[in-house]
Amino acid sequence: MLEEVLPLVDFDSDFLFAELNSLGVTTILMTLADEFGIKLEAADATPRNLKTLDAIVAMVERKQKEQQS
Amino acid sequence: MTIADYLAQNALRYPDKAAVISGGQVFTYNSLNQMVDERANSLAKRTPRDKVVLIRTSQDVDFIVSYFAAHRAGLVAAPLERDMPEERFQAIGQQLTGAYVPEGTADILYTTGTTGRSKGVMISHRTIVANAENLVEGQGFCHDLVFVVHGPLNHIGSLSKIYPTIMLGATLYMLDGLRSHDEFFAALDYPAPRAATFFVPANIRMLIQLSGEKLSQYTDRLDFIESGGAPLPHADMLQLCNLLPRTRMYNTYASTETGIISTYNFNDGRCLAGCLGRPMSHSRIVITPEGRISCQGDTLMTGYVGDPELTATVLHHDTVFTSDMGHIDDEGMLHIGGRADDVINVGGYKVAPTEVEDAAMTLTTIKDCICISQPHPITGRALKLLVVTADNQPLNKQQTARYLATRLEPYKVPMLYERVDAICRTYNGKLDRKAYKD
Repeated sequence: MLEEVLPLVDFDSDFLFAELNSLGVTTILMTLADEFGIKLEAADATPRNLKTLDAIVAMVERKQKEQQS
Repeated sequence: MTIADYLAQNALRYPDKAAVISGGQVFTYNSLNQMVDERANSLAKRTPRDKVVLIRTSQDVDFIVSYFAAHRAGLVAAPLERDMPEERFQAIGQQLTGAYVPEGTADILYTTGTTGRSKGVMISHRTIVANAENLVEGQGFCHDLVFVVHGPLNHIGSLSKIYPTIMLGATLYMLDGLRSHDEFFAALDYPAPRAATFFVPANIRMLIQLSGEKLSQYTDRLDFIESGGAPLPHADMLQLCNLLPRTRMYNTYASTETGIISTYNFNDGRCLAGCLGRPMSHSRIVITPEGRISCQGDTLMTGYVGDPELTATVLHHDTVFTSDMGHIDDEGMLHIGGRADDVINVGGYKVAPTEVEDAAMTLTTIKDCICISQPHPITGRALKLLVVTADNQPLNKQQTARYLATRLEPYKVPMLYERVDAICRTYNGKLDRKAYKD
């Protein structure tokens, strides 16, 4: 899904955040918010949350739990 | 006087005032001027053959030093995209070696032409000062301002904001993009009486979407915002006015070839869509009988480097004839329509589809293709490559995108890809672009 909207980004990278520009960060946050029905803000775009694909998955799961409760 | 002369003058007038903030470091007018002097001295030792200094725009103080040092050494600065493929960088260097560059030329800025061939636009020192004076008068740049610049400095949108800032002895706060909104807000918090910035519409969309609430806290800090590069959607204009009711917000008509021509504060209670205001003091606008916007005055380019024939097609009778369609309303304000050519505007970056197609066709797996655009929630438009693959092979989107990135600047690489059975062509075999317009 993310590769579809950002074909130049290597989502297998261990240094994903370093590869992203502002458009990449915003696209990821907006795509995930739409797909999973969660609210994401600029404050969520931290190097820790966007370091790897696994970190992104963890952020989405955390947000889903937080926003469901 | 050149802007580098203003820098020297301000180093005497305001030696301890912050000229540039970059990477968390403050560079005063005195220290910046000394750095420029030192680099200009080393540049002056170059051979006279190398009149043009190619600079990759590093988005930090080093770029500012290199840029003004070139001018101070009597040379011409050519700021180029930081991520430009090396092959292209070298090709531009070769094109400029020995090319005729008229006396008084300050910069050569590269822009995309309809044919996809990059054009080197020659800008004189006189033009730069006229652009600065237009901005001071039209938007209210002033001495006690901190201007936050975060866009690429090889484009006139961001580069032109350096001119009035340094001319007036104000402060330039440099950021490398808008990836971190926290850094952007920290820049706005810099202790100066007022702040201002320049956005392309995609930046505004990103801020509204992800940091709208925080942005709304800055209406008394943000003296003005300029938007340019692409038309700002009316819904975003209205939302921005709601978020920042006391901030002036300018939509500006400018291009590398014309310079900065007109500007309109859309936070005027009317928020007119598509309005770009009245021409500024150094500029005049004439609409041709075909409806094209043409511009006159001191902010025009000198011409395209090494291409007098191409120059003559765009610049004649002291007028630059653009490919933008527009009209002037009863109040003398410019309104822009579409474009008369095939150039696609992606978040403020202009892309000729032929350049993308030419690069894609060098891939043996691609039999035919066309580059089109479609609406995008952030950039307004996004490039899409429709591909007929050789021998009906499946299309590997990532591989195609990564291959194109080795031949094109990143913003020219399509975001979207689709495999199709055939590409629409006209009766004489040309790509039928109209068939793909939405």
